[in-house]
Amino acid sequence: MKILVVDDSKLARLFLIKTLKELEPMAEILEAENGLIAVELFKQERPSAVFLDLTMPVMDGYEALKEIIKIDSKAQVVIVSADIQAQAQSTVLESGAKMMVPKPINSEKMLSVLQQLSI
Amino acid sequence: MQQNGFTDDHLDMLRELMNIAMGNATASIADLLEAFGKMHIPQIMISDMEGLDSYIQQTIPNDQRNYVTKQLFGGLFSGEFLFVISEESALHLGHHLYDVDKPSDGDILDAVIELTNILSATIISRLTEELNTKVQFFVPSTERVDGNSLISQEDIINYHRIIIISTEMEFQHQNINGQIFILTKDGMIGSLKELIDRKLEELYA
Repeated sequence: MKILVVDDSKLARLFLIKTLKELEPMAEILEAENGLIAVELFKQERPSAVFLDLTMPVMDGYEALKEIIKIDSKAQVVIVSADIQAQAQSTVLESGAKMMVPKPINSEKMLSVLQQLSI
Repeated sequence: MQQNGFTDDHLDMLRELMNIAMGNATASIADLLEAFGKMHIPQIMISDMEGLDSYIQQTIPNDQRNYVTKQLFGGLFSGEFLFVISEESALHLGHHLYDVDKPSDGDILDAVIELTNILSATIISRLTEELNTKVQFFVPSTERVDGNSLISQEDIINYHRIIIISTEMEFQHQNINGQIFILTKDGMIGSLKELIDRKLEELYA
């Protein structure tokens, strides 16, 4: 199983990957530091799930989400963001994200997310 | 790259923690304004007073009149919180909050103080919570100044090396935006580095 982790912060990616690996040790983790790289990686690798930040340079998470959903309308995208505004949540859910979880995400939250995804 | 013992990891961690803190603050302000705020990527730099002066000049037009609120905070992570909002944006804020065409100067000042209280309390409390430490706030002060008078002579004497954490609060549809600066000076830079080191140890453990 491939999982794509997208965040402009190396440490945020590292933290997410560490939490994911505790629960899914066999998962192959792909990384991207902005939305543009994420969309390219998604096209090439077709990961089972994408963990996507919103506030990023080059291409933000809103734009990347739309592009990923254009490629695969059933893509399982989880938004992991510091932006906890209700409108941000409704926007990403309308754009096709499966769910949105606030940063920082701990093991308990990650377990709940993975259980809700069909991967 | 290293600046005063701060590695890229330290700066990345601080930026990420500020992002989380700003996310909380934006949500609180969005509730107050019943509006949607755009999040910006926080900027982190280590500088001297000249660098801060030049950074502020790049960020805020010299001829712009502003409300500037300054609030000191203390603890293992201590420093000064600055919120700068132009008079024009403050007018829009007063107009939006009081739902009147021409809010009085007193109403605008009240609105700016209320906004700053929410911003400083939320951002600094969340930052210190993430750094596993505590914070004490001191009484804030607000004044109206030009862009080129944001840094006083007193500030220049007090600060030598500074960590500048800055970001923007932006509510596009309401034409309300402001700049947030968190300044941590001299001796506190080492203390902050230790707090971040502990977070990094947790991460790499």
